Amino acid sequence: MRKSLIPLALSGLAMTLTPALAGSGRTGILEQLQAEAGQAFSAERGKALFMARHKGGKPKTPSCTTCHSKSPLNAGRTRAGKRIAPMAVSKTSDRYSDPKKVAKWFRRNCRSVLGRECTPLEKGDFITFMMSR
Amino acid sequence: MTRQLEPDDKIRSEQQTGIPVWDLFIRFFHWSLLALVCLAAFTGFLGEEWWLNYHIWAGYAIGLLVVMRLVWGFVGSPFARFSSFVFSKQQTLSFVRQLLKGRPPRHTGHNPAGALMVFALLLVLSGLVLSGLVLLGGQENQGPLAGLIPYFIGAAFGEFHEFLAALLLFMIGAHIAGVIVESRLGGENLVRAMLTGKKRFSLPGHETAYAKRKAALVAIAICGTIGLAGAGAWRSLATIHPGGLPKMPENVAWKSECGDCHYAYHPSLLPGKSWQMLMAGLASHFGEDASLDEKTRREISSWLQKHAAEHWDTEAANNLRHISAEQPLRITASPWWKRRHAEVGKAVFARKSIGSRGNCIACHRDADSGRFDDQKINIPEK
Ligand code: HEC
Ligand code: HEC
Ligand code: HEC
Repeated sequence: MRKSLIPLALSGLAMTLTPALAGSGRTGILEQLQAEAGQAFSAERGKALFMARHKGGKPKTPSCTTCHSKSPLNAGRTRAGKRIAPMAVSKTSDRYSDPKKVAKWFRRNCRSVLGRECTPLEKGDFITFMMSR
Repeated sequence: MTRQLEPDDKIRSEQQTGIPVWDLFIRFFHWSLLALVCLAAFTGFLGEEWWLNYHIWAGYAIGLLVVMRLVWGFVGSPFARFSSFVFSKQQTLSFVRQLLKGRPPRHTGHNPAGALMVFALLLVLSGLVLSGLVLLGGQENQGPLAGLIPYFIGAAFGEFHEFLAALLLFMIGAHIAGVIVESRLGGENLVRAMLTGKKRFSLPGHETAYAKRKAALVAIAICGTIGLAGAGAWRSLATIHPGGLPKMPENVAWKSECGDCHYAYHPSLLPGKSWQMLMAGLASHFGEDASLDEKTRREISSWLQKHAAEHWDTEAANNLRHISAEQPLRITASPWWKRRHAEVGKAVFARKSIGSRGNCIACHRDADSGRFDDQKINIPEK
């Protein structure tokens, strides 16, 4: 009986810790970007980046909204048909918490949409916007 | 056209009760065989791919019936025994000659032409069941022979299976025609006789009785022995791992990196050369940037090439090895893939839960294993 309580307690602990850990991962990423950008982030600019139709990227992906849907609160869809969980932190709590994942997708998606890598300022703005939602 | 009986025909006539000719098993065999052949023909010629199981079970049942009929042909009622309808060449030829004159000689059981048809049907049915088993094992990696038969043999037997199926339909047509002709010329309703077991006429000197209980017990004992031996062989065959599907260690990097934007395509769906090219051009991947860090890219690339289509013997791998010359990286551009999905309309791929041709797993529930069984096809309605 007692033994079965241990995993229960551990999983309870894990459940309370996961969002906290996710939060700390996110803070670390933002601090790093902040240091590189040297300027305060703005949710407004993040929103503009997210909503705009860009030139210079690949023709099939003119905007972040092509895949992430028009609202950060809604699920998106890849061009191949797979669901993408909402981008807003309020909807998907573990967003922007794994530095490698964040770096990988910014690299890919900015190249696809803008035809270049995003600047640290753009990345910070984007995450700030998603945290405000 | 009914031929009148003449007194010197020396034919015993028991119009009231009838003469017992076709025993219960023969009648059961005949009509259940008819039903099962209809089911097998319908699911085989017209049915959807995912009805394959009905086809397979009809085939197994037909196989069992044929085995029981063969046993009963040696121990059963007088007119069920093969020995009662083995005719010499002369007898057969003279019967046919008389038949052409419109005066076929009377037989209590099968006449020589009917007997030939019975043997031919049993032979073709056995051929269909056996070739079906080889086809199922070789091409679909299913059934008792899955571990033994390579794809190319299964595919060849598939052609033979189809030929026999067409032949069977033709023979059934001839059989029905024969029954109609014989019933009209001979004055005996053969369909009713196969339902009631009784005929109105028989030739003198013929023992016309159903088998005794002892014969049934002997038949059950023989069938039981064959059944046990068959089940034992089946069980040991089932332990052989299908040669076409080698065990593949899962690759975590592939599963997560290649499963983000779409179903992670099974390595058996493209040849090694395609995978190598695809993995070298991830920065421009079907209109998107799917780039990876170099270490992960190398790992996934070599894993995909190691388990590419060349190393599998499934239906999908054997056929998808032949890629499109213009679009060597697209599974969905290969000639075989296009042919196989020609009947699936554009609107179906556009359905909300499918989205694109490349979303294999939306319709093929077993796409992750690379099997692509017919039975696992399930096209979502919306
Ligand atoms: C071609 C489709 C597509 C486009 C266009 C796209 N994304 Fe994405 N994005 C994805 C996919 C797929 C993922 C990974 C799935 C997931 O995380 O749920 C992702 C993930 C991300 C992530 C990582 C989220 C996390 O949890 O760490 C970020 C950041 C991101 N995208 C930013 C952007 C930005 C900024 C744009 C526009 C410049 C953009 N994306 C445009 C498909 C796209
Ligand atoms: C950033 C998103 C993304 C990632 C990550 C990704 N793909 Fe793709 N892939 C696509 C898109 C988009 C298509 C084209 C879909 C379409 O046109 O229907 C595609 C198509 C394909 C096809 C062709 C499917 C067909 O239609 O026949 C193959 C094969 C493929 N990808 C393999 C891979 C492999 C292997 C990986 C992992 C290294 C991978 N993909 C990772 C987005 C991605
Ligand atoms: C819209 C649903 C749908 C999608 C998506 C789809 N298929 Fe199919 N597939 C079918 C249907 C239906 C058949 C049977 C066609 C027939 O022969 O009548 C089939 C047949 C097949 C077969 C032959 C199976 C057999 O044993 O007869 C293979 C292999 C196959 N598909 C592979 C794929 C692959 C690989 C993909 C993704 C690149 C894919 N399919 C995407 C519906 C789909």
